[in-house]
Amino acid sequence: MKKLIAATAMMATGLSVGAAKAEDSVFVGHLMDITGATGFIGKFYADGVRDALSYIKENGGIDGTPLEFESVDYAYKVPQAIANYKKWRSRNNMVAMQGWGTGDTEALISFVAKDEVPVYSASYSGHLTDPTGKNPKTAKPAPYNFFYGASYSDACRAMVQWAAEDWKKKGGEGKPVFSHIGDNHPYPNAPKEACAEYATELGFDVTSPVVVSMKPGDFKAQCLTLKEAGTDYGYLGNLGPSVVSLVKSCGTVGVDPTWLANIWAGDYETLKTIGDVDNYVFPVMTSFWTDEGVPGMDLVREISKESDKTGKEFRTHHYIRGICSVYYMKEAMEWAKENGGITGPNIKQGMYALTDWVPKGLEGVCMPATWTAEDHRGINTVNIYSGEAHGGDVKVTKLETVTLPRRDDWLGY
Amino acid sequence: MAGFSMRPCGDFRTTYRQDTRIFDTTFVRNAAILGIVAVGLIPFVLDGYYVNLFIQISYFAIAALGLNILVGFTGQISLGHAAFFGFGAFASAWINNHTGIPVLLSIPLAGMATAAVGLLFGLPAARIKGLYLAIATLAAQFILEDFFARADWFTGGSYGAAANPINVFGYEIMDDFSFFYVSLFFLVIMYVLGSNLMRSRDGRAFVAVRDHYLSAEIMGINLTKYRLLSFAVSSFYAGIGGALYGHYLGYVSAEGFTILLSIQFLGMIIIGGLGSVKGALMGTVFMVLLPEVMETGVSALSVFDWANSTAVTDGLAYIKEMAIGLAIILFLIFEPDGLAHRWQQIRAYWKLYPFSY
Repeated sequence: MKKLIAATAMMATGLSVGAAKAEDSVFVGHLMDITGATGFIGKFYADGVRDALSYIKENGGIDGTPLEFESVDYAYKVPQAIANYKKWRSRNNMVAMQGWGTGDTEALISFVAKDEVPVYSASYSGHLTDPTGKNPKTAKPAPYNFFYGASYSDACRAMVQWAAEDWKKKGGEGKPVFSHIGDNHPYPNAPKEACAEYATELGFDVTSPVVVSMKPGDFKAQCLTLKEAGTDYGYLGNLGPSVVSLVKSCGTVGVDPTWLANIWAGDYETLKTIGDVDNYVFPVMTSFWTDEGVPGMDLVREISKESDKTGKEFRTHHYIRGICSVYYMKEAMEWAKENGGITGPNIKQGMYALTDWVPKGLEGVCMPATWTAEDHRGINTVNIYSGEAHGGDVKVTKLETVTLPRRDDWLGY
Repeated sequence: MAGFSMRPCGDFRTTYRQDTRIFDTTFVRNAAILGIVAVGLIPFVLDGYYVNLFIQISYFAIAALGLNILVGFTGQISLGHAAFFGFGAFASAWINNHTGIPVLLSIPLAGMATAAVGLLFGLPAARIKGLYLAIATLAAQFILEDFFARADWFTGGSYGAAANPINVFGYEIMDDFSFFYVSLFFLVIMYVLGSNLMRSRDGRAFVAVRDHYLSAEIMGINLTKYRLLSFAVSSFYAGIGGALYGHYLGYVSAEGFTILLSIQFLGMIIIGGLGSVKGALMGTVFMVLLPEVMETGVSALSVFDWANSTAVTDGLAYIKEMAIGLAIILFLIFEPDGLAHRWQQIRAYWKLYPFSY
């Protein structure tokens, strides 16, 4: 019993210390998934966000205003995400939040819009890009949702555009065949229709989507379907272990299309695990850890030391994307401080204050982005990289930068 | 299981009606009413976090009671409860969006639609039981999950469906403060209905089917009818719970209604006590609060400097997840009859104090 009382007292002290710290500071909540369904990739992104927040906290905060934050692993469970959001909102007076997945971001759309709390998530669904509901296809306007990077739909469109050129360059005859490969799940499905429509527009022959489970397994049957369909370009909508199993399965049955992976399915780690692959194309929104001569990488390396004192640990581009997400928020908060105080609505205005901007110190790392009150497609430019892996050696080369038009019919879709 | 009650000396019951009262004594009834009034004061006293936890408890508890009627009272098993919960959410959103029927009416209508779907998937129960039935209901889970992701006309497919806020006489219930009372209203209504059902002829038939189906049949109980009815009632509860969940979030996405949630519902009723109405509520409270208590414990450690390194916080996150599982296992070993049984024992202890028997 004594121990119980002691533990309660300790927790109470912890809470009151937390409350005392909160004075004259701003609070940012951070939802991360490191133990749940998407934990294997969520961890990289979460580390980037967490390190960036602690770096800002230790180096002057928001133009002198101390920054407080809390990182909570919600294990990809929506009710826990909502409970944490409510806690931060009612106890910490949260002004902005760094979120993570599709489930929690979508569940919170209404709450954050009502409470006026900008959310920067890593869910790149196209329908989060329409803040006013201008496009009739938009299920629900998301005025307080932001993300750094191209939407899943735009990234896929860019790759399809590249593939059309690639087909011509290779001297391919007839119509190239495009297939969407992924589970029947909101995340892989997010760009399905948008990408297929654009592929048809560019002269592709689009097959029926091939359903592949999000969980790893033996996917030879699906590979044979791709073989029968004569797929030249296959979009990989899943991520991590599922994608690795699929590419390996297809390797064993001799199916060898050009893979167009979504942003979470393309990185050094994934290529290394696949082990043997040549034609793996994926979108990238930042520099790579190994890039040299990029001015902003100095800051990224400093931030990385927050959780790795040696500064030598390899970081994926998901980690770096997490940093960009935090730094765009930070600059919007700085703008808000100068223009009436750091509040949710002012931070939102801060996001619209500049066009084609890159956060200070991250030049060359984050891509120039523009958000407007009517269009939350921050970035419509996509860097397309190609990956090769042979016996543990991974080589990544940049193929092209594709800039997509800001078509009205693509907004929120 | 729940038959053990504490009755004051001299309280003899001479009719069946007296014997099947919802509340054993006037004191218990008054205490229950007082309890509901006290809960009603939560939004005035506690902050938004607690209000949200209560709302979570209420929609999950309604669905959990449904599952307890099926599993605990009728002895059927279902691994597809989350799918019915999801169906209710989508159905209510669809009814409201497409027909303009007000949300307050679309919620019970969604419950009925879900009951119909439950009936359909309960059909195998007429023929099979036990593990076979469990697998048949598992199929229901997968069929419905796939349906949610495909049926664009009904669920909005991958994009999900928008669910309008509840509108009462022109006043939109947008904030947690008002939604709290809506969920409390539904919680009380559904639990009173549940308790009454169990006192009725049909409820007794459910229990008879559970205890010994052959004897029940010999007594004249139509097994097929009651097994199907149990599925329908259970799905009705799941549908109401799901509809509340949908309108609370304002958005329904297929992603949320997985087999994991179905298992969580089973966890709630096992921890709370199979075959007990209040057990379903207690189990839900336990399952909703446990991760939050663990989270508070973990974040309380952050006052210490050593606990702030990434390695430690990541480790704590794993420990937190594992501890939730551990608590459930320990519960099953040391309290297999659930919280409802423990509650009875606590009551008995105070009643008999200072004598232990």
